[in-house]
Amino acid sequence: MASFFGRFKASSSATPSNPTAGNAPTKRDPNAPQPTPLEKLLADAGPLRSDGSDKFFGFENAAYTTPSYCNSIIQCLYYSAPFREQVLNFPARSPPEATTSANNALSPTRPKSALSPLSSPLHRQPNRPSLAPAPSGPPGTKPEDNKESPEYRKKLAVAAGPVLNMDYENSQSYGMSESLFTALKDIFEAVIAHQSRIGVVSPHKFLEILRRQNEMFRSAMHQDAHEFLNLLLNEVLEDVERFSKSKSSSDVSEQNVDGESGLVNAISSAVSAAVPGLFTPSKPQPNNSHWVHELFEGTLTSETRCLTCENTSQRDEAFLDLSVDLEQHSSVTSCLRKFSEEEMLCERNKFHCDNCGGLQEAEKRMKIKRLPRILALHLKRFKYTEDLQRLQKLFHRVNYPYHLRLFNTTDDAEDPDRLYELYAVVVHIGGGPYHGHYISIIKTQDRGWLMFDDELVEPVDKTYVRNFFGGEGAMACAYVLFYQETTMEEMLREQEAEGAAAAAKAEEGVGEGLHAKANGFVPNGVPYTPATPMVEESDMFASLDHAATAPVPPMSPDPNAAIVQEQQHPLENVASSPGSAALGFLEKRKAKAVAEKERKAAEKELERQAAQKRKEMEIKRRDNYKKQEEDLKAAIAASKASQVEDLRRSGTSTALNDDVGAADAPKENGSGGIMSGGLNRFRHTSMSLRHKPKLWLQKEKEGQSPQTPGEGESSQGLIAGASPDKKEEKEKKNRFSLGKKKSGFLT
Amino acid sequence: MLGTYVLRDDLHLATPPPHPSEAPPHNPNPLATVIQPPTAGTKVSLAAIAPRQHSNPQLFRLDTFASSRSQIPPSIQEAPNETPSSGGNGAAQRRSNGLGPYKSSQAPVFGEGNPALAVPNGKESKDPSKRRKPKNNIVKSNSSFVSRVIPHETLSKRLSERTPDGLFIFANVNRALQWLDMSSANKEDQLTKILFTKAHPLCHDINPVTRSATHMDIIMGFSTGDIIWYEPMSQKYARLNKNGAINGSAVSEIKWLPNSENLFLAAHMDGSLVVYDKEKEDAVFTPEESVQSEKPSSDPGHRFSLHIRKSVQSKNQKTNPVSYWSISSPQINAFAFSPDSKHLAVVSEDGSLRVIDYLKEQLLAVYMSYYGGLLCVCWSPDGRFIVTGGQDDLVSIWSLEDSVLVARCQGHNSWVTGVAFDPWRCDERNYRFGSVGEDCRLLLWDFSVGMLHRPRAASMRPRGSVASQLPRLRAESTTGRVRSNSNLTAQSNGDIVHPVEPRARTAMLPAVLAKPVDDHPLSWLGFEEDCIITACKDGHIRVWDRPKEGAAGSEGTVSTSASTANL
Repeated sequence: MASFFGRFKASSSATPSNPTAGNAPTKRDPNAPQPTPLEKLLADAGPLRSDGSDKFFGFENAAYTTPSYCNSIIQCLYYSAPFREQVLNFPARSPPEATTSANNALSPTRPKSALSPLSSPLHRQPNRPSLAPAPSGPPGTKPEDNKESPEYRKKLAVAAGPVLNMDYENSQSYGMSESLFTALKDIFEAVIAHQSRIGVVSPHKFLEILRRQNEMFRSAMHQDAHEFLNLLLNEVLEDVERFSKSKSSSDVSEQNVDGESGLVNAISSAVSAAVPGLFTPSKPQPNNSHWVHELFEGTLTSETRCLTCENTSQRDEAFLDLSVDLEQHSSVTSCLRKFSEEEMLCERNKFHCDNCGGLQEAEKRMKIKRLPRILALHLKRFKYTEDLQRLQKLFHRVNYPYHLRLFNTTDDAEDPDRLYELYAVVVHIGGGPYHGHYISIIKTQDRGWLMFDDELVEPVDKTYVRNFFGGEGAMACAYVLFYQETTMEEMLREQEAEGAAAAAKAEEGVGEGLHAKANGFVPNGVPYTPATPMVEESDMFASLDHAATAPVPPMSPDPNAAIVQEQQHPLENVASSPGSAALGFLEKRKAKAVAEKERKAAEKELERQAAQKRKEMEIKRRDNYKKQEEDLKAAIAASKASQVEDLRRSGTSTALNDDVGAADAPKENGSGGIMSGGLNRFRHTSMSLRHKPKLWLQKEKEGQSPQTPGEGESSQGLIAGASPDKKEEKEKKNRFSLGKKKSGFLT
Repeated sequence: MLGTYVLRDDLHLATPPPHPSEAPPHNPNPLATVIQPPTAGTKVSLAAIAPRQHSNPQLFRLDTFASSRSQIPPSIQEAPNETPSSGGNGAAQRRSNGLGPYKSSQAPVFGEGNPALAVPNGKESKDPSKRRKPKNNIVKSNSSFVSRVIPHETLSKRLSERTPDGLFIFANVNRALQWLDMSSANKEDQLTKILFTKAHPLCHDINPVTRSATHMDIIMGFSTGDIIWYEPMSQKYARLNKNGAINGSAVSEIKWLPNSENLFLAAHMDGSLVVYDKEKEDAVFTPEESVQSEKPSSDPGHRFSLHIRKSVQSKNQKTNPVSYWSISSPQINAFAFSPDSKHLAVVSEDGSLRVIDYLKEQLLAVYMSYYGGLLCVCWSPDGRFIVTGGQDDLVSIWSLEDSVLVARCQGHNSWVTGVAFDPWRCDERNYRFGSVGEDCRLLLWDFSVGMLHRPRAASMRPRGSVASQLPRLRAESTTGRVRSNSNLTAQSNGDIVHPVEPRARTAMLPAVLAKPVDDHPLSWLGFEEDCIITACKDGHIRVWDRPKEGAAGSEGTVSTSASTANL
């Protein structure tokens, strides 16, 4: 009887237990009934909201299913309220004639069926048990032993469920053809429709589509989260526009849904769609295909002044995110300012002047003319170093503030003082560009900051966000920052609330909240291992099933006892209902206490063995992984190197034209020309690289000189500073001086 | 070479290993969500026992004060070297933080008119050598708070043999506080090193009033909220706010009240400003505020009110705290007293600069950073300007009398962690100040009062960018004010909260010098008559000699035209 209890995981969900879950005796979760920090945080949650702002789902990353680069980015997009809203509202569903008859079969509200998990395809019974750290060792070790390890906690999260197995697609019900956008929409809708606040999403379909369409993401290789973001935004943008076009054409020529003969209409609507002025950016319109542009797109103006004819030419370019070069000990503010600093186009990188007709030396600067509503900032931590012929990770310390304004706007920019607030940080953990792990830290609407580490979702302190500036010995550094527009009023209101909270906390003493966080990880706990996919593990558990979620028992039964007993009565909870179980709890508790004593000695022995086994396994796994990793690394390095060679040969011509797209190509799509046509179409809109072809070929050399003199330095004629001569530099290093001063308006 | 600052000393204070009882500092899990206690880079408190000869910066003209600002005692230049600086996020500014040796008769007294406060201060010792010391010996202490104290073997000999005009330095690094003698040949050989068990000292200050050859009152604030009053000559100490009895959050800044022997102000990280008396015992603090006492007017600026939770006028003054104020900000990063000892400038993580009349316990003005938190603050030596540095990478100059942002200074590549005026390069019209930041650089800036009155067009920078002249608009808020910083008044809350100035309307000031001076982010900056001192997060304290002789003269001419620098 007692065994029954161990079967139920901690869960805030009211999902009734699934009778079929009892078929396979699963290894028991030793500390299941203890609420996780997230559950504690959500304990007082009210009714579910319909906008999805109070859903906190992890994303599965087991055995190569969904890589963390993908998970972290999707989370960041989900928690952008306007983005989520637009994904949900597009396409507008109100006019029923707009969608095909397939609607009826697969209505958009289908995920709602998850309310009855028994029948829902959404609610998969996870086929992996939650823990069992070693393959053969006795399953239950004392929870204190390893429960702090992220792996363990992730498994717990999966075990606790519910797991949304996104292996279906609803695109038809949206009236769209299957695409990354529809898969993303499926995920968002499923999460929001589910009655549980927490859970795990297993986005199989999304990945399937991603990999089908993009070769570079096909392998299980570690990929660049920023590249993925860029691809995803571009794909979504395209999917949405394609749909709008086809739809508007079908509206006009009603019979031609495919738009074959409605081509003229399609084109005309496409034209109108391409003119931003025709759209009111403020209100999200039904079937407004421009919402991706409105959220993420900004405009850069590049001013190029030919030094020969003094002619200045301007060109506007759209961007979906900004990629900025990093300097040691700098800030995001400074990186953005450097982004817009004047640069000389000379030597290999001359400018083709239309006026004088030829390659000329020129001055160029990029400024932001239109600020995006969501500013995605990519910190270029992966930099090509010529010495090593491959990308290397820069661990530079780069500060990022909670709020931001941009200095590098054009004079005629609208709202140049727009205030942004940091709402998400994608963190890369690892020593190099070809491996590692991504997590995201996201500010939620009213639950403060949360950390999303694949399956694991955990509340964190606001100051935690600042742990990823980088710097010496910091493996975990911020890689992509998401700033969203906000207002001064909003900021003040929030700060006031924070102040009140801080005061309350101070008065209560260090309260629950802190404790909840403190028990997140034990400082001297198990070292963090990036969630490397472990094949053995999934194989090992493939046959196992686990119980559905259940009401949390009031006390924590001894895990080990539960496990053993459970194995003795594997079928028991098939018949049991959670309600009766709860009633019988106290009795069972007594019986268990006796059993517990008897077993204690044996357990200890088993534990020891288990621990050892686990250690061995871990070492083996790591070795395997390392080997794999190294092979991979070598392969990638080789490919990158050759690609770089290619570029260097072919790059000059494109470079001269100052073609951003061409400049982007080498680093951008890590593996040469495999980028799909779809992506390339918008490639030029991404300022993923700093619009300079010479950039990563020459910047390295420039980087050698210790510092580029700042504004003040250069204009004031300071003596110390930019001397590239090392010897001289050394002598001068310990002195600084004021030269003749001609400072602007002061004298 | 004109005006070259040369590195004289480079002291590296070793970061002590963690106490055995402390969790390992390097957590192998980079994602560990355990909340780490706040830490601070090395900050420095300076003191010279006796002033040097010729130490007066003649740049200071008394008539500045006499003419337009008669309220300010002209004593600011009396003995600059006597005024020790204090720690505090580099915001420390010796003359500008009001620690100047005013005659107590001239200077305003905190809590004046409260007989309850007057009692203990009534029996002031005439003889400074007989100052009261704390009770416990720190060397022999068996407190679990103090881990180890390592005095120099020949401490008393070194103390007796040194020149009285030599600088003492107190500096924190990690969980240690070190006491160094900058006049000694072996500077790095500390006079005393105190290791604390778990708590990190985050800030400290030396009382300029009580300092003598045999006595120094040092106050330290800790990451645990604890405060220690330490007298290094006798190695005595006392612990206040024990285990956070009065306030449990970390102390981010601590300073002696101007002209007070016993009272000091501590800024706790929960937004509280607490005045303690070094002589008084802790008592459980229960707010005495009536809800009504927070600003009766409930206008839009209410969120910036100053909550007086215990007034200095409270009759209950037997125990600490003496007074207790809260600002509605989660975290105070630094504060500074005005040179006339009347005002307090407080900067916090929410990006606000608050000017408080702490004698009257009244909030006078609130300014906001361009964005991000403000990290450091200091006053100009004449008290007319406040300079702040923050997470917007900017140094901002605020004028009190005009209630405006004078200029933003752009040049740092990362957050600005320390600002300080250079009183030896300031006169009545021209100001020199410096700033240090996490970009490891020291920047020097010049600005002049003249720029305030330039017509808009004349101020346009040649680069044609965003700079424009100082917005002397805001007429509505300026009109009601008496043009004197001491009489700065505000009628209502709505009037005292100043919105963020758009970039297009704000003057941008370029630096006159920018130089990387360390390999680590800097955390503190101070000016001495003969040098600039910088400190970094890694425990490096660097002393940069000022330009010598003729060079100085020409440097002076290039930096500020009216400067009369002649060193």
